Amino acid sequence: MAGKWQLKDHEAEQQLFNRRLGLAGVIIFLLFAALVLKLINLQIYQHDYFSARSDGNRLHSQYVPPARGLIFDRNGNLLADNQPIFNLTVISEQVEDLDATLATLRALIGLTDDDIDQFNNRMQRNRVPFSSVPLRYVLSNEEKSKIAVNGHLLPGIAIEPQFVRSYPLGNLTAHSVGYVSEINRAELDSMSDASRENYGGTNHIGKTGIERTYEDFLHGTVGYEIVEKNNRGQVMRRLDRTDPIAGKNLTLHIDAQLQIAAEAALGDFRGAIVAIDTTTGGIIAMVSKPAFNPNLFVTGISSKDYSVLVTDEINTPLFDRTTNPYPPGSTIKPFLGLGGLHHGLVDYDFAIEDPGYFRLPGVSYRWGDYTLRTRNGGGHGHTNLLKAIYQSCDTFFYDLGNRMGIDTMHGFMSRFGFGQNFAVDIAYARTGVLPSRDWKRETRGEPWYPGDTVNSSIGQGYMWATPLQLATAASIIANKGKVMQPRMLKALDGKAFEPVIRDPIPDVMVRDPDYWRYMEEAMTMVVHRPFSDVFRDYGTAFEAIAMADRDMPYKMAGKSGSAQVVGISQDIKASTDIVVSDLNKDHGLFISFAPAQNPYIEPQIAVAVFVENGEHGSSVAGPIAKQVIDSYLLDILQLDFTAMEKAGDPDRLVSQGNE
Amino acid sequence: MNNLDFIRQSTGFQHAGNRSRSIWRLIHTDPPLLVGITLLCGFGLFVLYSASDGDPAVVRRQGLAMLVGLVVMFIVSQFSVHFFRSWAPSMYAAGLALLGLVLVIGVEENGARSWIDLPGLPSFQPSEIMKVTIPLLMAWYLASRPLPPRFKHLFWSVLMILLPAALIILQNDTGTAIMVAMSGVFVVLLAGIRWRIVIAGFVALLLASPAWYLFLAQEHQQNRILTFFNPYRDPTGAGYNIIQSQIAIGSGGVYGKGFREGAQSHLDFIPESNTDFILAVLAEEFGFLGVLFLICLYLFVLVRGCYIAYSARDMFSRLLAGSITLTFFFYVFVNMAMVSGLLPVIGLPLPLISRGGTAIVTLFIGFGLLMSVQTHGHSTTP
Repeated sequence: MAGKWQLKDHEAEQQLFNRRLGLAGVIIFLLFAALVLKLINLQIYQHDYFSARSDGNRLHSQYVPPARGLIFDRNGNLLADNQPIFNLTVISEQVEDLDATLATLRALIGLTDDDIDQFNNRMQRNRVPFSSVPLRYVLSNEEKSKIAVNGHLLPGIAIEPQFVRSYPLGNLTAHSVGYVSEINRAELDSMSDASRENYGGTNHIGKTGIERTYEDFLHGTVGYEIVEKNNRGQVMRRLDRTDPIAGKNLTLHIDAQLQIAAEAALGDFRGAIVAIDTTTGGIIAMVSKPAFNPNLFVTGISSKDYSVLVTDEINTPLFDRTTNPYPPGSTIKPFLGLGGLHHGLVDYDFAIEDPGYFRLPGVSYRWGDYTLRTRNGGGHGHTNLLKAIYQSCDTFFYDLGNRMGIDTMHGFMSRFGFGQNFAVDIAYARTGVLPSRDWKRETRGEPWYPGDTVNSSIGQGYMWATPLQLATAASIIANKGKVMQPRMLKALDGKAFEPVIRDPIPDVMVRDPDYWRYMEEAMTMVVHRPFSDVFRDYGTAFEAIAMADRDMPYKMAGKSGSAQVVGISQDIKASTDIVVSDLNKDHGLFISFAPAQNPYIEPQIAVAVFVENGEHGSSVAGPIAKQVIDSYLLDILQLDFTAMEKAGDPDRLVSQGNE
Repeated sequence: MNNLDFIRQSTGFQHAGNRSRSIWRLIHTDPPLLVGITLLCGFGLFVLYSASDGDPAVVRRQGLAMLVGLVVMFIVSQFSVHFFRSWAPSMYAAGLALLGLVLVIGVEENGARSWIDLPGLPSFQPSEIMKVTIPLLMAWYLASRPLPPRFKHLFWSVLMILLPAALIILQNDTGTAIMVAMSGVFVVLLAGIRWRIVIAGFVALLLASPAWYLFLAQEHQQNRILTFFNPYRDPTGAGYNIIQSQIAIGSGGVYGKGFREGAQSHLDFIPESNTDFILAVLAEEFGFLGVLFLICLYLFVLVRGCYIAYSARDMFSRLLAGSITLTFFFYVFVNMAMVSGLLPVIGLPLPLISRGGTAIVTLFIGFGLLMSVQTHGHSTTP
C-alpha cells in the first residue's frame, strides 16, 4: 500500500520537477537572449560611438615645442644657448592629494612657498588634460635621487628634462640680448589664436632685448604628436608626429670680446657704453652697468632675488642705461656747430670774443660758461668754431644757438637722430627729447622762451638723449653725413640679414661737404690738441687721452660732455649706504669715433660713453671710450697703423703731418 | 530499488556496442560535460593571458587551479551523491560553525572579512563551502518530504537558507551571500513550490527593496544602484567601471580588435580586468562573435547540466543537479549582465574565465557532483 502510494507520488513529483526544469530552461534562454540583445546594441548599433570614446580615452594630441633659435655674436660665440635641465613636474589628474604631495616635497627637497605660488600661476594657464606642469625648475642631482627614491609616495610627480635658455655671458648681455622668462597670462591673452596655438608647448617667451625683438624668429613653429596614453597618463606609443620647426639662429653685430672689454672699461662706475661699427651701423657693444644675471629669470626668479633687483634705487640694475635718456651736455656741440655752418650762421673765420658768459639782449641774467665755472673765471677770448669745439666753449654756442633759434636747431639736430629712434631693431629704445615750440606747448603748456634756446645750445634744459642716440649721431659725423641706422641683427641662420626699412632715414646733407672734414678735425683736436703757451688752447680730453698714451698709433675724434644731475629722491638721500655727495656729481659723457683724420682708412667705430656721477666727460668718460676703441681697432680688428703709413702714399702723409 | 530505475537500467544494458561510454562510466566522468568545461577553461586561460597583459605567472597559477579543480572533480565524482547526502547536515553544521568563527578570527581582504587563516592550513573562505553545502542540504531536506513542499517545510527551508546568508552578509560579502541563498532558492523552486507563494515572495521582495535601499543599504551599494540607472552621474568615480567597460565592449564591434589588441584593457582603462570585468576584455578583443562563442559554450554546459538533472535517478539527485546547474547559470548571467550594464555592479567573477583559484575549485566540486549524479546508479545496482 505504502509503496504504491509512494510510487504514484514519485511520478507526480518528477513531472512537477521536469516542468520546473523546463521553465528554468526557457528562462535561461530568455535571459541569454536579453544579454545578446544588449550586446548587439553595444557592439553593433553603438559601435562607432564607443570606438570614438575608446580612441578619445587613449589618443592624445600633444605639442612638441620647437627648439629656440640660438644667438651668436658676430664671430659665432654663443650669447644665448639652450641647456638641458631637469624639472620637477606635476600631472595634476594623477595626484591623489595635492596638498599632501606638496607637503612631502616641501620636506624632501625644500620646496618653497614661492615655488608653490608660481606653480599655481602655471596651473591657471590653459592646459591640456594630463599634461605636466613644472613645479620646480632645475633639480640638482641630489634632489633628483631623492625624488626617484620616494617616487612611490608621489604619484603624478615626475622628473622631466627640458631645454631652457642659458646666457653664457650672464650680466654682460642682460640688457642687450635680454632674457626669456615664463609666458604670463597677459601675454597669452594678447596673442592671436594662431600664435597662442603656436605657443602651446612653449613655456618661455622673450621678455626684453633681442629675445623680445626677434621673438618671432627665435621661437619657431610648434610640432604635434599623437600619442597613446594609458590610464595613468604614461605615453605608451607615438602614433603620428609633425616635427616642430626650430627657431632661427641669430647672429648679432655684437662682438663678445668688445662687449667684455667695454664692460671692464667702465670699471666700478655705473653707466652705459654703446659702440657702433660705422661701416655697417651694427651695434658691436652695448653695455649697461650694473646689470643682473639674466639666467635667474629663465627658470623663474625667486621673489627674494627679484626684490633685491627692484629695490636697489642707486644701482637700478634692471634699468637699461643704453636706451634711456640723459641730458647730453656738451656732446651736442659738434652737431650744433655743423648746423651753424650749414645755415651760414658761422664760417671758418667767424669768431667771438668770449668774456666767459653770455647775455641775451635786454636780459640781465648771465649764462655762465659751464666748463669754466670751477676755474678762475674769465673767458676763452678770441674763439672760433674749431676752438669752441676743442675747448668746449659754452659762450660760443649760447650765441650760436640764440642766433639759430629753436626751430632751425630742432630741424637740423633731428636729422642726427635726436628726439627720434633711428635704431632698426631696438623698438624699445627711448627717443629722449629734442625740444621744440610744439613739444613745450604740448607737454608743459608753456610758450618757448629765448632762454630755453640758450639752455638747449649746450645740451641742457629740455634736451635729453640716450647713449644709443649719441653713438648714432657720432657715427653720422664719422660717415660724413651718411646715415647707417644702428642695428643688432647681422645674420639670420647664417645668411646676411637685410632689414626691411620702411622709411629710410635720409643722409645728412650740408651745404659744403668740407664741413665734415672740418668738424672731424675739431673733434680730433678735442683729444689730440696739446697744451701750449696760449691760454686755454688745448683739447679738453688731451690730458686724459692723448697725453696719457703718447704712443697712440691712431687718432680719435671725440667730444666730452657733462650733465647736471637733475634730482635725487629723498629715499636715496636718507640712505646711509652711499656717500650722497657722490650722487650729486655730474654725469660724464663722451662721444667719439676712430680712426680719425686717417688717409688710409675710414672711421671704423663710433662710441658713446655715459658715466653716471662720473663728474667729468673728458677725464672719466673719455679714457673709457679710448679703451673701447683700442680694444676694437688694435685687439679685434688688429689694424697695423704703422704698416699702413709705410705702405701709404708719402705725399698724403706729409699733408697730414702738419699738426 | 524501484521498477522505473530497473527498467531504465536494463534498457541501458541492452544498448550494446557502446563500450567507451561504459569506460567513462567506470571512471565516473561525463564526457560532454568534461568537454564543455575543458573548452571553457581553455578559452578562459586564453582571455586571461591577454587580460593579465601576457603575465605567464598569472596564467600558470590559474591553469594550476584548474588542474587542481579537475582532480577534485574527479575525486568527488567517484563517490555516489548519496554519500554526500548523508553528510549534508553535518557539513552544514560545520559550515555554520566556521562562518561564526570567521566573524571572530576572520581575515579581511578586499573589504570582506571572509577568510580564515589558520597556521598550518591554507587560508580558505568558509562561505565557499556553503556554496556547495546549501544545495546538498536543501536537496537532502526536501527530497525526503512530500512535494510540493508543505508550508512548514518551506519555513524551515527558508530558515536554513537565511542563516548562512545572514552570516555571510555580516562578513560584508553581499555578493556571495546572494549566490549562497540563490543556490538554496533554486532547490526550493525546482521542488515545486507553489506559484502563489513564489509570486507573493517576489512581490514582498519588490516592496521591501525601497526600504532596503533607504534604511539598510550601505552608501556604496546605493551608489551602485544609482550608477546603474545613470553611469554618468559620477563618470570618474562610481560610474567609471561601467562606463569604461561599456566603451571596451562597444568598441570591440562584431569581430573585435584582435587578441591582445584591446586598447581599453591594455592601457588599463578597464578596472578589475583580470577578475570581475574580464568579459569586457574578451568582448573588446574578440567582439560580438567572441561573446556569442562564450555564451554557446556556457549553454552547452548548462544544457548538459539540465539533462543530467532531468535524467537523474531520484529526487535528491534531480534537485541537487538542477540547483548546481541553475546556480552556475546565475553566476554566468549576473556577471555578464553586470559588465554589459544590464544589472547593477555586484562583485562576482565570470565562472572559469575570471582569475581566482578558490572559486574555481568550488565550481569543480559542483561539476564533480553533477558527474556523480550522472555516472552513479545508472549502470550499477545499488
